[in-house]
Amino acid sequence: MELSLTVNGQPAVVDVPPGTTLLEVLRDELGLTGTKEVCDEGECGACTVIVDGRPLDACIYAAHAADRAEVLTVEGLAAGDELTDLQRAFVEAGSVQCGFCTPGFLVMATHLLETAAELSEEQVRRGLAGNLCRCTGYAQIVDAVLAVGRGA
Amino acid sequence: MDFRRAGTTDEIVSILAEVGPDATLLAGGTDVMVQYLRGEIAPKLLVHIEQVDELAGVDEADGRVDIGALTTHLTLSEDPVIRRTVPGLAEAASQVGGHQTQAVGTVGGNLCNASPAADTAPPLLVADAELRLRSAAGTRTVPLDRFFLGRRHTARRPDEVLTSIAVRPLPSHAGETYLKVGRRGAMEVAIVGLAARLVLDDDGDVVTDARLAVCSMAPRPLRLPDAERLLVGSRGEPEAVAAAADAVQETTEPIDDARARAAYRRRLVPRLLAEAVRLCMRRARGEEESWS
Repeated sequence: MELSLTVNGQPAVVDVPPGTTLLEVLRDELGLTGTKEVCDEGECGACTVIVDGRPLDACIYAAHAADRAEVLTVEGLAAGDELTDLQRAFVEAGSVQCGFCTPGFLVMATHLLETAAELSEEQVRRGLAGNLCRCTGYAQIVDAVLAVGRGA
Repeated sequence: MDFRRAGTTDEIVSILAEVGPDATLLAGGTDVMVQYLRGEIAPKLLVHIEQVDELAGVDEADGRVDIGALTTHLTLSEDPVIRRTVPGLAEAASQVGGHQTQAVGTVGGNLCNASPAADTAPPLLVADAELRLRSAAGTRTVPLDRFFLGRRHTARRPDEVLTSIAVRPLPSHAGETYLKVGRRGAMEVAIVGLAARLVLDDDGDVVTDARLAVCSMAPRPLRLPDAERLLVGSRGEPEAVAAAADAVQETTEPIDDARARAAYRRRLVPRLLAEAVRLCMRRARGEEESWS
């Protein structure tokens, strides 16, 4: 069953069976493996992408529900080699340890920064509650988001 | 399995009239997709209804508040009408999963999924919620306390779609809250969730009306009329709260599961109820905002 969507500004058409997840389409059909598969049940946020302005867990979102949607993945954040302020802040604050949760955190935090004028630490922690880091490097991640959110 | 997109309520109703029990309605998918991927459900057809805009949004008119079934948890937690008229529902919606779940998960989905731990159920029960269910045969209204029949089992017929939820706004001299216990402060399934709505007399002294409801204490979310009666006429004093907590124990049947033992759930009830009564009374007297 065909569906068409725009991913990081690029139009794409794929043919997958109903019940396929958006995560499977991104990784297996489109080769966008930056979005990670971890818990596969919407608990950990490693597969967070933005669909029509809403951050969601791609592992439990039906691909065909995203038919005609605009999707933003971690690959769509940087402009070529030019990192975003948040990506630079992650590097500077040491927010990456094993790195597996990083794409989900980046996408979710990008959304938080775009939808709030200013962010308190409490808002950042609450906004990122759906993203798990098993290296437990939360302090550095929160620091990086606050460095960008407060500095604006 | 087949997949169809419905653009209007009429379309949903006609698909359900045709396919009935073989169809599963898909909104944000935060429950349906998990159950499908685990093999717990095997529908012949998924009907994607997420983009039926007429089923989303909050409407206030003639002393009632109407909540579209597709209103997301994120909207409920932020909507000024919900925060003023059903503040316990806003509190509960802000505690459903993480931001990713709240951004697409809907109140109608939370109710129709009928989890014993459904966070939006207790605050809707204390607000006398009535559900509107539509089918090709017409529309009927079902009070929420008669909607839940058991775990994942509701009074919704396979040919019906939940379209909206009508609630009674918080009256004056009243306060409400939803308290949830989990292992951590977010991303939790409730070990126990308790909603309370208390109305005080004009002096802000005596409880004239009380509504209580719990989740995760029985196979379905429950109103607690026996406990409510024991609070009416009281001043929220410890003896009255303890008597009400005893009544909760008699009407609930918690289980042991991976999250907590039944005995632990029972031990939480008196303390949760005392905290809920204290908060509701302070809010009813204007000593504390529902939202800080």
